[in-house]
Amino acid sequence: MRDKLPLALLIILGLFGLTDRFLPHPIAEGFNQYLRDTLLRIISAFALILGLGNLILRHTKKIQKKEEHWQHSWVLLLSFLVASIIGVFGGVNGELWFPTQVGSFHFDITTIYNKVLIPLGATMFSLLAFFMASAAYRAFRARNWLAVLLLGSAFLVMLGQVPLGARIWSGIPEISQWIMEVPNTAAKRGIELGITLGILATLLKILAGIERSWLGSGR
Amino acid sequence: MNWERLIQIDRRIIFLAMGLGIIIPMLFPMEMPVGAQRVTRSLFKTIDEIDGQEQCLMISSDYTPQTEPECHPMSLALMRHAFTRRIPVLLNALYVEGAPLLASGIEDVMEEFNSRATTHEDSIIYGRDVVYLGWQPPPIVPILAMGESIAGIYPDDYYGNRTDSLEVMQRIRNYDEVGIVVAITGLSAPLWYVMFAQTKYGVKVGAGCTAVCAPDFYPYCGTGQISGMMAGMKGAAEYEELVEETFQTGGRRKATEGMVAQSAAHLVIMGFVILGNIAYFASRRQA
Repeated sequence: MRDKLPLALLIILGLFGLTDRFLPHPIAEGFNQYLRDTLLRIISAFALILGLGNLILRHTKKIQKKEEHWQHSWVLLLSFLVASIIGVFGGVNGELWFPTQVGSFHFDITTIYNKVLIPLGATMFSLLAFFMASAAYRAFRARNWLAVLLLGSAFLVMLGQVPLGARIWSGIPEISQWIMEVPNTAAKRGIELGITLGILATLLKILAGIERSWLGSGR
Repeated sequence: MNWERLIQIDRRIIFLAMGLGIIIPMLFPMEMPVGAQRVTRSLFKTIDEIDGQEQCLMISSDYTPQTEPECHPMSLALMRHAFTRRIPVLLNALYVEGAPLLASGIEDVMEEFNSRATTHEDSIIYGRDVVYLGWQPPPIVPILAMGESIAGIYPDDYYGNRTDSLEVMQRIRNYDEVGIVVAITGLSAPLWYVMFAQTKYGVKVGAGCTAVCAPDFYPYCGTGQISGMMAGMKGAAEYEELVEETFQTGGRRKATEGMVAQSAAHLVIMGFVILGNIAYFASRRQA
């Protein structure tokens, strides 16, 4: 029963999802709309709770077992707790009952977002440029003609992606665009088709009940 | 010369060169003409052809603070274009992290236009010229549901107003009244719009994306499923340039400002790659 009920639900609802594309009947469309607009959102809410619960459990265990970098888990849990309390009881702009201001110092969710989350996010992403430069220096070697081809394309696309390329030679942006539109598109189409066929095969296996790994490990 | 030592160069030297390469151009800002590529011109043309009396422009964002420098100028440039052409703009956020960014962008562009406006008609009025629908999870739900009713899936807007009470929403019901959805993304949002909204409801889709995502969308530009694209910060700068050249809207062009720093960063990386290769081949010859 533990396996059969979720499997039956998946097959029935999955088939209903497919009928939406092929059966333009008001009853089928209405049911699909209900599935999508109501049921999917309820499931998403549960998924969020499940995800948060899993995150808290994982990091609590990490602290208990003093695993590598367990101190970082404290940062995560405390940040999560503080932000949740401020958000839930203080409101988005500090309009609820929980005080989010001491003198001229604000710590409501909007302030946390603007003053903490945005700079942290931007910092994390901008670090990539530095690590990419270091990695490119060490790994990008013209060892054979394929690597030379890759290196040449990379240089042309990099120059084409900045106005400096056109200043060096007006043809660089055109060549860069051609690389993106022709060889890149050809390769991407091949990859996309392969992925899509793989997804279709997996979907059919799940709908037919052959693929059951999503039910949990060991099945 | 000790080439091996050069190969094993301390990465802090690379970081320092990169940092200086980015910071120095920012201290001495200058504008470099970018010249719009085909995909950007195509997006501009598609939006420019929207009849503002009949249809609106929809900007759908899923960018977060991480990708803000590349993606946010795209939203601003699109809004400037639409407001100048008096095309109503509907905006939504597919992820909660990016929702406040879009709100601040709307306020900035509205202020920019309203500071120059002389009459009520010239002004950009919230509810008449622009509506921010806010965020509804998960992304697939609003993407599909807007095909039937936009006010149905977004009963309240970002600011808590009843969506169906707003002036422009009296004539915008679903994708039939949307000239194009431009999905600005650090992920795959334009593809979701193509897969779910375009195949079922036939709405036109445009893309604005980080440079690293752009290769994913070129095949769809080739088939016409994506009507045009802004690829990375350069794409945003190209769109800013097109809007400025055509309408002289003024306003800060953040992507154009970033072009010099990005040029310098690319040059630094290329310089190090060349240096690394010279050191590699010279060390092999020595051995």
